[in-house]
Amino acid sequence: VTPSEGAGGGTRRELEMESVLALGGLVLLRDSVEWEGRTLLKALIKKSALCGEQVHILGCEVSEDEFREGFDSSINSRLIYHDLFRDPLNWSQTGETLPGGPLGALQAMCRRTHPGPVTIALDSLSWLLLHIPCTSLCQALGALSRQHAHPGGGSPAEPLRVLGLLHEELHGPGPLGALSSLAQTEVTLSGTVGQASAHILSRRPRQRPAHQTQWFSILPDFSLDLQGGPPLESQPHADPHTASVDPTAHVTFNLHLSKKEREAKDSLTLPFQFSSEKQQALLRPGPGQATGRIFYEPDAYDDLDQEDPDDDLDV
Amino acid sequence: MAAVATCGTGAGSTGSIAAAASKNNVTSFQRKGPRASGTDSGCSRLVSIAGTRPSVRNGQLLVSTGLPALDQLLGGGLAVGTVLLIEEDKYNIYSSLVFKYFLAEGIINGHTLLVASVKEDPADILQELPAPLLDDNCKKDFDEDVCNDKTPDSNIKMKIAWRYQLLPKMESGPVSSSRFGHYYDASKRMPQELIEASKWHGFFFPEKLSSTNIESCSLTHGYRKLLQFIQNVIYEEGFDGSSPQKKQKNILRIGIQSLGSPLWGDDICCTENCDNSHSLTKFLYVLRGLLRTSLSACIITMPTHLIQNKAVIARVTNLSDTVVGLESFIGSERETNPLYKDYHGLIHIRQIPRLNNLIYDVSDVKDLAFKLKRKLFTIERLHLPPDLSDTVSRSSKQDLAESSKLLGPGCGMMAGGKKHLDF
Repeated sequence: VTPSEGAGGGTRRELEMESVLALGGLVLLRDSVEWEGRTLLKALIKKSALCGEQVHILGCEVSEDEFREGFDSSINSRLIYHDLFRDPLNWSQTGETLPGGPLGALQAMCRRTHPGPVTIALDSLSWLLLHIPCTSLCQALGALSRQHAHPGGGSPAEPLRVLGLLHEELHGPGPLGALSSLAQTEVTLSGTVGQASAHILSRRPRQRPAHQTQWFSILPDFSLDLQGGPPLESQPHADPHTASVDPTAHVTFNLHLSKKEREAKDSLTLPFQFSSEKQQALLRPGPGQATGRIFYEPDAYDDLDQEDPDDDLDV
Repeated sequence: MAAVATCGTGAGSTGSIAAAASKNNVTSFQRKGPRASGTDSGCSRLVSIAGTRPSVRNGQLLVSTGLPALDQLLGGGLAVGTVLLIEEDKYNIYSSLVFKYFLAEGIINGHTLLVASVKEDPADILQELPAPLLDDNCKKDFDEDVCNDKTPDSNIKMKIAWRYQLLPKMESGPVSSSRFGHYYDASKRMPQELIEASKWHGFFFPEKLSSTNIESCSLTHGYRKLLQFIQNVIYEEGFDGSSPQKKQKNILRIGIQSLGSPLWGDDICCTENCDNSHSLTKFLYVLRGLLRTSLSACIITMPTHLIQNKAVIARVTNLSDTVVGLESFIGSERETNPLYKDYHGLIHIRQIPRLNNLIYDVSDVKDLAFKLKRKLFTIERLHLPPDLSDTVSRSSKQDLAESSKLLGPGCGMMAGGKKHLDF
């Protein structure tokens, strides 16, 4: 990969990653034990914060200090953290916890009306799925994305995106499928040794979903470094299929015709083809004669006796 | 349909003859019926409503689904009083398109619409309906589409088997005199004045939900409210014949989108053993009862690929009348398979109802695929090219489909030596 190609490819890849954020709606980050997604979540949060958006974080799995670690102070000042980790069931009764439990906290986020674009980060959706019923969570997420389309304040639709971290090993196919059907963008983390990749599936409304694979790494200050990735694995799906499934490749007879052969084939008159020449040949006898003619070839056993016994009949 | 036309006029003429006879008092036979005067549509028991026609097979009143190719597969159309269940494809692109075609057909024919959905506002759904193709330029557009897709090889007319050219083709172009099914242009929107002139009722579940506390909502809450809404509309507008003074009968087209998704409050897509697993089946049962007693037809799209319990899918299929499954190739390994390169997905006709009949009205073509051309949505017979691999079997087309699936991962791969060609 030459440097110029890398630079050009870099801007294109930047645009691809930008599209993840630009689409709005629910962005589902599916991670697993081998490829954890919280660093990518924090990188995307940093990107949104640098664009000047308000970022709300619903923290359930890690403490606030641990989450804010690694961000510099300018970013930290933009993050509004709602803490569900310290006291989710409100046992300490201090009144600091969010009313209504996890579901109430989520619904409280639905009702916010802000003048600018807002990003909501849910860390994590897995925790929420384990504590509130799946249908309520889906309805709350649906309400959040509708907030994006019809904001309460009457201002024009501003992008509200919800970044949700989902640990896909914790859930069965049911909740995963339900949340996937709600998501505008799904980012699945995987990779090879030492290199992480994100498989991005974006579903624009009324268009076919597009998917691409993006290799990246995250620097210690949570900025995103996009890479071309190992070139061998850049097109994993397309080649084996299009190369090998060609039914006309290994046959023992010739399926292709050259031009001369094709012309000869076209000009051939087939025996049962009712062409005009055949028609003329069949209709050759004139008006006076019989329409049918019988052509008979006598074989060895025939008796062609001129003295026909029927001769004396008066015909 | 010439047979139907003559039947209709024949019936009408006997009706008028009877009426004339009764006027002249020539005969003592009086025509008994609700129309004692006998001046209007005649003696036929079939109600003459715009956009409907009687089925030639079983006498049911049919409405068009908006896709004439699908009408042909369902035996002429969708019978009034029945449910058409569409099993959604994975990303809900083509099933929502079929849903919109159904609603657009209702608007063109002047039927009343009832749209229920959870994700989108019904008003937004109606704004996105496809525009109808008018008769004068539809033929031109259709021929244009056909020419764009034709490869040079297919221009060879059949020379040896020329008699087969006379067989009716699966895919027929728009007939200019067809008043039953209309063709739609998926790239354009329906004109605003047509939408505003139509009568429609919308049911957007999250709006109804906001009035009550979400925590206390039971599973059947959404379904119960939807059934009450449908029942109210049917009763108030007189689709069930409850207001006999209505002059002009009309059809109510009900469209329910994404029934069974978690947004309705039903966890049938989330878990395998859900607490209230019967709410969806109860809903379909009550809905069918409502439909059978009214002049309405319903289309439901359901994300069956998300339903975890296969027994529920079987029950849902039994409780619906017509079930059509859409399977799109997007994201699956079939997308790159050159066998399917001309098409966007497969259509499976899973069930056809047996209405007042002892036999099913199934078409003999079971192997169907659809594609969304630039403007038109077409359904065609899936023609698989001959399988030239080592494992080819000559037994049936079904096996051909199986072995072509096996061909996918690699040409050199022997598919387990299942089918051999022995000489």
